[in-house]
Amino acid sequence: MREEAVLQHSNIWRPETIEDIQIKAELGRYRIRGFSALRSRQLPSFDDLTFIPCTLTRIPLEGYRERCSTKTILGTRFAKRPLELDIPIMVTGMSYGALSYNAKVALARAATKAGTSTTTGDGGMLPAERENSRALVYEVLPSRYGLNVHHLQMANAIELTVGQGAKPGTGGLLLESKVSDEIAAMRDLPPGVDQRSPCRHPDWLGPDDMVLKIEELREATDWQVPIFVKMGASRVYDDVKLAAKAGADVVVVDGMEGGTGASPDILLDHTGIPTLAAVCEARAALEDVKLYGEVQLIIAGGIRSGTDAAKALALGADAIYVGTAALIALNCNKPMYVEDYHKLGTEPYACHHCHTGRCPVGITTQDRELMKRLDIDEGAERVVNFFHAMTLEIQMLARACGKVDVHDLEPEDLRALTLESSMITGIPLVGTNVVFAGGPGWKKSTHR
Amino acid sequence: MRQVECAGKTTREINQEIRHLIMDGEQEIVVLRPQARHNLGVAVLQPVKLVFEGSVGYYCAGLVDGPSVEIRGSAGWGVAEGMMSGTVIVEQNAGNSAAASIRGGTVVIRGSAGARAGIAMKGGTLIIQGDCGYMVGFMMQKGTIIICGDAGEALGDSMYEGRIFVGGSIAELGNDAITQEPTPEDHEFLTSVLTQYGIKSTHTFQKVVAGRRLWRFDKKEFDTWKEAL
Repeated sequence: MREEAVLQHSNIWRPETIEDIQIKAELGRYRIRGFSALRSRQLPSFDDLTFIPCTLTRIPLEGYRERCSTKTILGTRFAKRPLELDIPIMVTGMSYGALSYNAKVALARAATKAGTSTTTGDGGMLPAERENSRALVYEVLPSRYGLNVHHLQMANAIELTVGQGAKPGTGGLLLESKVSDEIAAMRDLPPGVDQRSPCRHPDWLGPDDMVLKIEELREATDWQVPIFVKMGASRVYDDVKLAAKAGADVVVVDGMEGGTGASPDILLDHTGIPTLAAVCEARAALEDVKLYGEVQLIIAGGIRSGTDAAKALALGADAIYVGTAALIALNCNKPMYVEDYHKLGTEPYACHHCHTGRCPVGITTQDRELMKRLDIDEGAERVVNFFHAMTLEIQMLARACGKVDVHDLEPEDLRALTLESSMITGIPLVGTNVVFAGGPGWKKSTHR
Repeated sequence: MRQVECAGKTTREINQEIRHLIMDGEQEIVVLRPQARHNLGVAVLQPVKLVFEGSVGYYCAGLVDGPSVEIRGSAGWGVAEGMMSGTVIVEQNAGNSAAASIRGGTVVIRGSAGARAGIAMKGGTLIIQGDCGYMVGFMMQKGTIIICGDAGEALGDSMYEGRIFVGGSIAELGNDAITQEPTPEDHEFLTSVLTQYGIKSTHTFQKVVAGRRLWRFDKKEFDTWKEAL
């Protein structure tokens, strides 16, 4: 009789762990990939919360008759021209370089049609992106690739980027196959180089310097447009206070689920905190410096649906950035051109090969032939439809909770499904009405 | 020539006054008593002459395109950062990150410059008549840095392209920075540009460029990469 099981995997040395070691034994460096976190452990997420709509204690809105506003205004603190959007969903910064021309223009058109904004990314402004967008957020990043004062002055908002959720504390990457002659020229780089971006801004370091940098950007844009400060979610409670105190109109917090075109894989999976926790800490921070409501909060990182967005709004966000979800609406990971997924060693629904520049659906590539697979107008239409669907979902939940404005969604509209999410958010666990919270949540007075 | 008095005014008021004078067609503006204020003369986009009669703070003449700026004193951090074109001359010393990420134009520091001067430069020319601090030319992409005096540690660290000339000593080369024999064109360029700005230099210049070992991730050069990332 055999004593060992014929086929038994170790939980320590799982197939993917063995594969990881053997890949690194070949590469001699860390692994790099795109997309989002792939770790097998489930992160605390918005799925751990449920809405508690109106019954007798509160009265719902009549779905088809009573208006539920989605208008979103950002930058009311210092800017002469705050950003006015029709919906609280915005397109986050993804560079021309990481994305194809067709993808960038499709996102710009979609944002405009949906009444919202798009954002430049770490590679400068693509002129066609400005032409096709009603509201454009212009990023000022540590690399300063393509930074041009004339473009800065054409923007509807400036985003001073300190970091991103996919890889907080590190700079961007763009691998050789995507550094085409055109992308290289825009970024002043040698064509075909493996581009590494710096993680620190070249001319300022901490929050004291940032005060001066923000003033410089305001002077350069005549105090007209809002200045956002964007950060990857790490010490969110302290970082948000520092950004707000430094004079930001809007703080953007990007959770660890945030996506990227290329990153060391360990940073995607093992750095930053989940978006669910980030929004709670950010709100608590703004409340503590008495700027909640005056400084607006944009939340990003793995937002997949109107449900996620509505929960983020209820927890304290004023608007939501989407990146990966918008790309998926453009056809990312769709089962078409399947043989090209296989050539990359992957398959539809599991592709995270943005870094290769061989995107089978023409989104994260600079290859002219692959790019043609993404029709700009058809892609834009799908993103508009998706944004409309998300907006309807948010409105549906808001109406059910009796809100005439989606921004009136509040923590009281939610309950926690897990002990963990209750402790993170400060929202009572279902069935208990008890708040198991220790960290900075939305109702600090009750648990501190 | 028109004058702008800084005493008793906010940065905003000073910059607006400068802007209004430029809009009125003024070709030469002298800013009196700048008192090391930050963000003066930011984003001037016209080919005017702008003189600061004294020292300035952070980001003076940042994000400009076209003016010729004279700072008759010292400058704080990030002087001329992000400049597209034009000239910025600092009569005395400059703080950290002078000419950070400029895309064109010329910055001349008559005295010495602090750390990280010419960081992430994307074009243009930075001339430092005196010495400079550490990490000058860090991640430089294009353009030219000329240091007539001595350079600090980690010179040209992780640079992609561009060239750095040093007249004095180099405390330490940065990761992947290498020295190269200057070409006859380099000598010609140095003579011409230094003469243009009235700089007499009898030094023999060393030339520093990228070793290009960091251009590809797939190079198994552990000793280089462990310092670079």
